[in-house]
Amino acid sequence: MRILDLALKDLSQMFRDKRSLLFLVAMPIAFTFFMGFAYRNAGGDPNADTRIPLAVVNPEPDAVLNKALVERLETSTSIRAESMNEEDAMNAFYKGDMAGVLKIPVGFSEQASAGKDAQIQLIADANSADGQSLYQLLRVPISQLMGAVEVSRESVDVVNASDPSAEQSAAFELAWSKWTESSKVSLVKVEQEVAKSSDWTGGNPYNQSSPGILVQFAIFGLVTSGQILVQEKKTRTLQRLITTAMKPWEIVMGHMLAMFTVTFLQTMMLVLFGQWVLKVDYLREPLGVLLIAVTLGLWIASMGLLIGVTAKEEQNVILYAMIAMFLFSALGGTWFPLDVTGGAFATIGRAMPSAWAMNGLQNILIRGLGLESVWTAVGMLLAYAVFFFLLAVWRFRKIEI
Amino acid sequence: MKILDIAFKDLTRSFRSVFAIGMMVIAPLMLTGLIYFAFGGGGSSDSPSMPIIKVGFVNLDALPADAPIEAPLGDNVRSMFFDDSVKSWITAADYTDESSARTALDKQEIGVAVIVPQNFTERFLSGDKDVQVLVVSDPTLSIGPAVVQNMVTMMLDGVDGGGIALQTFQERQKANGITTDPAQIPAWVERFGNWYADFQRNLFHHPEKAAFVIVAPAAGETETTNPIQKVMGVTMAGQMIFFAFFTGAYSMMSILREDEEGTLARLFTTPTDRTSILIGKFLAVFFTVILQGLVLMVAGHYAFGINWGEPVGVALALTGQVVAATGLGVLLISFVKNSQQGGPVLGGGLTTLGMLGGLFTANVPGAMPAAMNVIANFIPQGWVLKSWRMVMDGQSAGELLGPFVVMVGMGAVMFVIGAMMFRRRFA
Repeated sequence: MRILDLALKDLSQMFRDKRSLLFLVAMPIAFTFFMGFAYRNAGGDPNADTRIPLAVVNPEPDAVLNKALVERLETSTSIRAESMNEEDAMNAFYKGDMAGVLKIPVGFSEQASAGKDAQIQLIADANSADGQSLYQLLRVPISQLMGAVEVSRESVDVVNASDPSAEQSAAFELAWSKWTESSKVSLVKVEQEVAKSSDWTGGNPYNQSSPGILVQFAIFGLVTSGQILVQEKKTRTLQRLITTAMKPWEIVMGHMLAMFTVTFLQTMMLVLFGQWVLKVDYLREPLGVLLIAVTLGLWIASMGLLIGVTAKEEQNVILYAMIAMFLFSALGGTWFPLDVTGGAFATIGRAMPSAWAMNGLQNILIRGLGLESVWTAVGMLLAYAVFFFLLAVWRFRKIEI
Repeated sequence: MKILDIAFKDLTRSFRSVFAIGMMVIAPLMLTGLIYFAFGGGGSSDSPSMPIIKVGFVNLDALPADAPIEAPLGDNVRSMFFDDSVKSWITAADYTDESSARTALDKQEIGVAVIVPQNFTERFLSGDKDVQVLVVSDPTLSIGPAVVQNMVTMMLDGVDGGGIALQTFQERQKANGITTDPAQIPAWVERFGNWYADFQRNLFHHPEKAAFVIVAPAAGETETTNPIQKVMGVTMAGQMIFFAFFTGAYSMMSILREDEEGTLARLFTTPTDRTSILIGKFLAVFFTVILQGLVLMVAGHYAFGINWGEPVGVALALTGQVVAATGLGVLLISFVKNSQQGGPVLGGGLTTLGMLGGLFTANVPGAMPAAMNVIANFIPQGWVLKSWRMVMDGQSAGELLGPFVVMVGMGAVMFVIGAMMFRRRFA
């Protein structure tokens, strides 16, 4: 009962403060909209030309191989090729109007046909998604072009041609037309594994941003609750409480219960906002989402407790909560998927409690899995909650009366 | 002199605060550092770091009785994923059927499943256009599935190329009145196969010999040589701007704290006039934001290799940033009743303005719709970001004058409005 009294006191103190509503409600909703908006626009308007812009520097447009390659690129559904001179192409690239510049050297067609070394260059940022995509998209037609050249050169021997040049030209035309025909049929089919495709709502840009912001702001919500503990320490209310019949563990539990309630309510509010406004289908597995929300709340509340008992000033709570938010959000994959990050970062990140919360929610929202898919995430979040709780209790016992 | 004393007192107070130092320097550096670390910054360029791709392989293919090749194509595809050369970044495991591979995907034991269907070789060799290798991926992944798809496509393109070579030779022989000797076929296929293998090997391992290569743009006088450093430059600029505006407003809050603590009232009883007090406080904010900017720029240069640009351009952008941040700080705090209210006004107001100014989407090309980009022209943070982009892109000081005038103009107008409100409040 005393635990409940203490929790209710903390809650009334928090909700009296209108600042709380800004951090707990308005900011996460604004951020969710904003990030979803950003991802949706980055993904592209369905009516817009989403092909990757490529400047082509082709000093010999009539050369056989140059012509064949450029014609193929002009029919691409993934690349928007635009012929330019080198200076304009580089300027467009530096301005960001072009994702890359394809530079066909002078004499390329002649040298390649003669079996001499000839190199086409793609000038692009190899670390960017567009640069890598361009490289992969161009590798296929260039491999096919060089394959047709090789076949045409071999054909001269195969038919023992009296006019090698004419034979090579005819064989190239034939091989290239077969490659062009063949490239229209893909030998590889790609699909995503979705467990229950019937009730799956994948493709919604908010499927990544909504749970990401939910986890991020649940951590930032500690600012308000953590500050109450600091206030109690500064005003010596906490020390007075310790001298009462209330046991230390009851004091800790009371404060933690308040923090848990706030985090849980905020999470559930964002879940319902995601469900009804953003059409993120949290309710396709309500019990799974509830379990994640409860264990996420427990972990964050125990971390809030640790911040509250560690910070000496109210301002420091903001700093510690922000650092915790940055660390756990970035490492846990709430800002960007971990598979696009470096190996060490992804390995460390996947062990974070925030990553487990994301994983549990993604299992339901993106992978289309059921309740059984959240058990590991729930277990890990509980383990982190216990760990942070024990740390908080250890720090609490060091508070001087 | 009194102005300087007040400024010096406020500066001392700012730099004694763990919170202020944390928000001014540690938070922006930590955020940028996390992004730098996330995208492979700091690692050796010889050993790119990427998460290990877990592949499950289902090979249902078999060699047809009269096949002109020695092993089923499914075996060739499989051998790519189990090769020693890819063991550092691919771990592969065999699965007996599609269902068990899909279950492993659901359990996240693997990220990608490659399924070679029954009679793939037979159907492929017979020219069946409907036969396909299936690549199934975890829907939360993007890079791993793309890499696996490329590997399989590359392998099958080689096989397809062998078929095209064979058909071309046969048709060319026929056109030249030669009857194809079936005994020649294995040699033709082998010859093309060897060429294709060398070609792909050069693409991936010997770029100097390859027919196609990706190269970084040549570095000019003001361009960074490493693209990741360019990305980090924009990221760091975004963080620096966000926290500079935060620092501007937070430092200005000292006037509210002094009011609450009663020291401001005591200051008013001295012969110091109110304008001097306000200018002293303004100077403290101004110096704090300048110092913060310089510290972050030096740290960004040494920690992340950021090339900020030409000194004159940098000076213009930094000055514009300081004036705009200080002006907005004065204006924002003039609306706040007490330091308790300051936190949410600063947190909410500056985050919203940062969003609208494009600070959080600086590295996402085309992230925001055109209307939002127009809005950014009315936001001080939007102009500061624009000026830093221009400096880092190597634009001249003359081209920067326009944004500089806008930033200083916005800062001055906001300062004047804020100062008038303060004068009215403390009259």
